[in-house]
Amino acid sequence: MSARLLTIEELTVATPGRIELDRFSLAVDAGETVVLLGEAGCGKEAVMRVLAGAPRSGETISGTLQFGAAPPERAAKLVRPPLRVAYLSGAHAGSLSRHASVSSQLVRVIARKLGAARSTARAEFALALERLDGAPPPSAFDRPAAKLSARTLAWGLVAAAFAQAPELLLADHALSGLAPMPARLLARALLAEQKRQGFAILYAAMNTDVAGWLGGRVLMMRHGKVVEEGPIARLAGAQAHTYTQTFFKAMVPAPLPPSAPRASARGQPVLQAYGVEFGRDGAKRPGDGLTFELRRGASLALLGEDGSGRRALTRVLLGLDRPRAGRVVLDAVDVGILAEKMLLRLRRRVAMIAGTDDVLDPRMTLWDTVSEPLRAHLKLPRELVANYRDAALKRVGLASLPGDCGVSDLSIFDKRRLQVARAIVSAPLLAVIDEPLRGLDAFAQSVMRDLLRNFRAQEGPSFLVITSDFAVAQALSEEAMVLKDGRVIERGALADLARAPKEPQTRALVDASIGGLSLAPAQG
Amino acid sequence: MNATLAKPRPTGPSLRAVIRAAGFAGLGAIAVVVGLSNVLARQPADMVQAGDPLSPPSQRFPFGTDLFGRDVASEVLHGLAVTVSHAALAMLVTIAAGGILGFVAVRFPLRTGAGLRWLAGILGALPPLFLAILLIGLTSRDFAPVAAGLAAVPLAFIRAYDRSRGLARSRHAEFARATGIPATTLLKRDLVYEVRDGFLALATRSLAAVTITLSTVSFFGFGTAPPHRDLGLMIASARESYFDAWWTALFPALALMAFILCARLAAALDEGEQP
Repeated sequence: MSARLLTIEELTVATPGRIELDRFSLAVDAGETVVLLGEAGCGKEAVMRVLAGAPRSGETISGTLQFGAAPPERAAKLVRPPLRVAYLSGAHAGSLSRHASVSSQLVRVIARKLGAARSTARAEFALALERLDGAPPPSAFDRPAAKLSARTLAWGLVAAAFAQAPELLLADHALSGLAPMPARLLARALLAEQKRQGFAILYAAMNTDVAGWLGGRVLMMRHGKVVEEGPIARLAGAQAHTYTQTFFKAMVPAPLPPSAPRASARGQPVLQAYGVEFGRDGAKRPGDGLTFELRRGASLALLGEDGSGRRALTRVLLGLDRPRAGRVVLDAVDVGILAEKMLLRLRRRVAMIAGTDDVLDPRMTLWDTVSEPLRAHLKLPRELVANYRDAALKRVGLASLPGDCGVSDLSIFDKRRLQVARAIVSAPLLAVIDEPLRGLDAFAQSVMRDLLRNFRAQEGPSFLVITSDFAVAQALSEEAMVLKDGRVIERGALADLARAPKEPQTRALVDASIGGLSLAPAQG
Repeated sequence: MNATLAKPRPTGPSLRAVIRAAGFAGLGAIAVVVGLSNVLARQPADMVQAGDPLSPPSQRFPFGTDLFGRDVASEVLHGLAVTVSHAALAMLVTIAAGGILGFVAVRFPLRTGAGLRWLAGILGALPPLFLAILLIGLTSRDFAPVAAGLAAVPLAFIRAYDRSRGLARSRHAEFARATGIPATTLLKRDLVYEVRDGFLALATRSLAAVTITLSTVSFFGFGTAPPHRDLGLMIASARESYFDAWWTALFPALALMAFILCARLAAALDEGEQP
């Protein structure tokens, strides 16, 4: 029988007017994996905050924590745990200073946790990176966090956590916001290192995919309480609680849509590319030029990992950058011959929905954000603008929020829906949808999927979907082009790509998104 | 073990907000005093021989009298009114020619904005005091408030230009351009929000900066001419008597310090004397 590592008894966390966590109890054994699963604000974040010793200002905390064989301590008393606890945050959590060298920051943490000299900590960090299959070299972390990709940063954070030789690893949405392929790779690394070092993992997750990859025991949480508990292998197949059923149903990839009606694929071309070459000159061969067309109402996914050239291609297609060669025709107009002013007019019929927070002006209000395209492009009476705005906000479920609410005060999910509302009022011919579900919990992803499908069905824009998640591509598109190193390596109907991918990269993308519950051995 | 609730940590306004509130309260009080200066002052401005020369503070003359027998308390009130009104005019010049022009210049065509930024960089390297004296020399002493405002323009321009350039290159601006939002709409958006969020900060920072320049210019004798005496000129004219009659310079200096301190507090002690 494994030794008991952590016992949480009756832990309650409350803020004025809200109970974040309600008499939560949990026992974690050495080497065990426990996943706290639930949507944002379900209470798992409060558990992590308390265990990490970083409660928020104004929180009232009660209950006890017991680490190993040590006597129980009041959770409100910020104790230094008598065992080695490593805290692993996500690459998007902003836990590092953006302007200082990542390696120096991580080494400082390792040195403090191990009580060792910086040189020893640096060597431990390098060793941990070496053990990780696919991790970048230590020199990659000598740059500031602002200059590293989320994927690279995630490798660094994971290696730093491993270098602390933890007995308990607190992983707070550590793989959230990463593309499926690197997330899966890191999950594999977590399990391999757990086997080697024997630490326990307490993982806070908002999606079932990570729970599936890590395996172990899952605690389904809602409103600060555990509603269901069990091994993921059981929960994935049969859920007892209604909420768990709904949660798992929301995460199941949408069934492949039936073949698109021929009529929709035979509309007028909205976007045409003829021999377009894009991105930097390196490693390009003659004949790499891309030719395709996107017709009205159709949807095309640009599939690939971060850095594969999807966004560079999109910038060229929208006329934001000039192609190195070839021609782009948007709404029957050659964008290469247009002056900037005319291009701007042409792009009025383009909407964008992106999976990052910074694409909306944080200073603007909810109403201004939605009304701006109408006011900028059309000289409509105020009442009409208000009608369109209210209708769009109602469709995305934001009508109940006050109109003068600032964008900076909105949650990630609300910001994402606000982008859809802004797109709806633009009545676009083409909607560029860039990683629309990234960083959202299961329910939010489900709602966003439905909103985007509804948007496409009602307004009828063509979709250009940029994603690294095959499941997202399947949910929103019928066809895809797979990109790698700035080149299209495979293209075709998504159903065909899923059934019989020709390229290893395509197969890896399919496996990463649809692979499921296969990484971890069954526990418990 | 029985669970007990930990006491919540108190939450309240930030120290920055408290400092700003204190600054604005002080500026408000000074504005009231300036508005009522003619009522509060017992003697009209520049009234000589109101009492014996260089009388120390007493019940009749709480701040004493100066070399010409003028009531220092009344003179400080009149001097504060002149200083505040001139500083307000100079501040408006700085905001218009520095803040707003700097903000708009990023969108000027043909690298005009970059050229102006380069020029502002060079002028900003010069001490504002010398720039103000140069401008007064080229015009007249009556031009002193405008000259002090113009002397603070380069630094205000640089700050506004750099802020505006950051906004123009932000992700949300790029996102808006990609969906056809014209540059004028983006500029209007930036101006509206910057005026709302940044106007008071720019105004209070500028107020402190131009007050220092104006008072120093007057102290050196290039500024306000008698019979209108501002606080800088009052301190300058007390040079003869300061070591024998400390009250002649101390009270004008305290009034000037209080005004500058309140302006800086209202700017949350952001950038010292830079606008």
